[in-house]
Amino acid sequence: MIMSYLVENYSAAIYGVIFRIVNNESVAQELLQDSFMRFWEKIDQYDTKKGRLFTWMLNIARNLSIDRLRSREMKKGEKTDDLSNYVSDIEATNISQINVDAIGIKEVLKNLREEERFVLDMAFFKGYTQSEIAEEFEIPLGTVKTRFRMALKHMRSFLKE
Amino acid sequence: MKAEEYISSGILEAYVLDQLSNQERVEVEQMMNEHSEIRKEVDVIEQSIEHLAVATSKEVPVELKETLKRNSTSSEISQAIEPVPIYLKYAVAASVLIAITASILAFDYWNKWQVTKSRLAELVARNYQYAENLNQVNQELLDAQNSVAIMSSSDFVHVPMNGTDNSPSSFATVYWNESSTKVYLSVQEMEDLSPDQQYQLWAIIDGKPVDAGVFDSTDPSLLIEMKNVSSKPAAFAVTIEPKGGSQNPTLETMQVLGNV
Repeated sequence: MIMSYLVENYSAAIYGVIFRIVNNESVAQELLQDSFMRFWEKIDQYDTKKGRLFTWMLNIARNLSIDRLRSREMKKGEKTDDLSNYVSDIEATNISQINVDAIGIKEVLKNLREEERFVLDMAFFKGYTQSEIAEEFEIPLGTVKTRFRMALKHMRSFLKE
Repeated sequence: MKAEEYISSGILEAYVLDQLSNQERVEVEQMMNEHSEIRKEVDVIEQSIEHLAVATSKEVPVELKETLKRNSTSSEISQAIEPVPIYLKYAVAASVLIAITASILAFDYWNKWQVTKSRLAELVARNYQYAENLNQVNQELLDAQNSVAIMSSSDFVHVPMNGTDNSPSSFATVYWNESSTKVYLSVQEMEDLSPDQQYQLWAIIDGKPVDAGVFDSTDPSLLIEMKNVSSKPAAFAVTIEPKGGSQNPTLETMQVLGNV
């Protein structure tokens, strides 16, 4: 019963995030199933004091997806024996990807500054930590943090209508 | 102040995205317990993330949705237990009996545990929903209180705007505070617009229309905060403009007008 409620209310939002991380529909569907299994297994560990239920679910799904993405990218890297491809690959495609795979996201993100959008995309959809973004793209860590904060802030004000 | 510094350090965003080490996470949770403004900020960040996720939803195929719902209950379906083979020797029979008793007990406990778990989960979710609802009601109450305070304050000039020939039944009121320059708008009756249009409020200052912000015909708020108007206007008026507003008013679409 509770699970039906969660599926009805949250699966589309979570599926959207998973899909944007792995960028592959069948992998995303598999991960969505894994995520809901995981919610069910772990729901008694959810603690309202530590945050919202949705955040908790989303992070389980994101972590599974990011793990999958990285293991896949690692394999790719081993095959071509060139791990640096992986980084530059992401670097080159991420901006255009925002525009291509976007349905609702385009609307949401178009109001953000380019640099805010970049940090938000890397942190939220690509699973980079703030310090990883700073290192990979040679942006000072403080700047990354500020941009991420501002991105969320601006986005929030747009979504509020 | 320490809490403010902490909020602007960016650690809360990383917390919400689950990007912290265990030690850092514990630290954030401690700070949240000690400072209500930090907890509040975490909630705001979580809401932004939730908004982002909802805005970027992707439709889940119906069959997959059904699978998701089914999988969650499959663990509760009971399984049949093999009957005891009675032709075995007593000793074997005894040990089999013990094994079966044990597994029945284990199964029974497991079943109870599952039931308890699903009850707990249900309560957690219900509790969560109550808290959400309460939050929302509180927020609405607060908004309503603020609105009433503004509407009844003598610091605000009330400017009723009557419908023009375009829309005689329309009516809205502007509340303008000369010293704080704040402007609020209360819509009593305005027609619905198509989604690519918005209403735009204008302050007429020295005979020139000055933009005072746009609003939607669907905005449910009691009072809508508009752009500040710093010098005393002669009148306020509302026109229909393309979404986002215009630089100059489309005067022939004027809906309501009121002198200050």
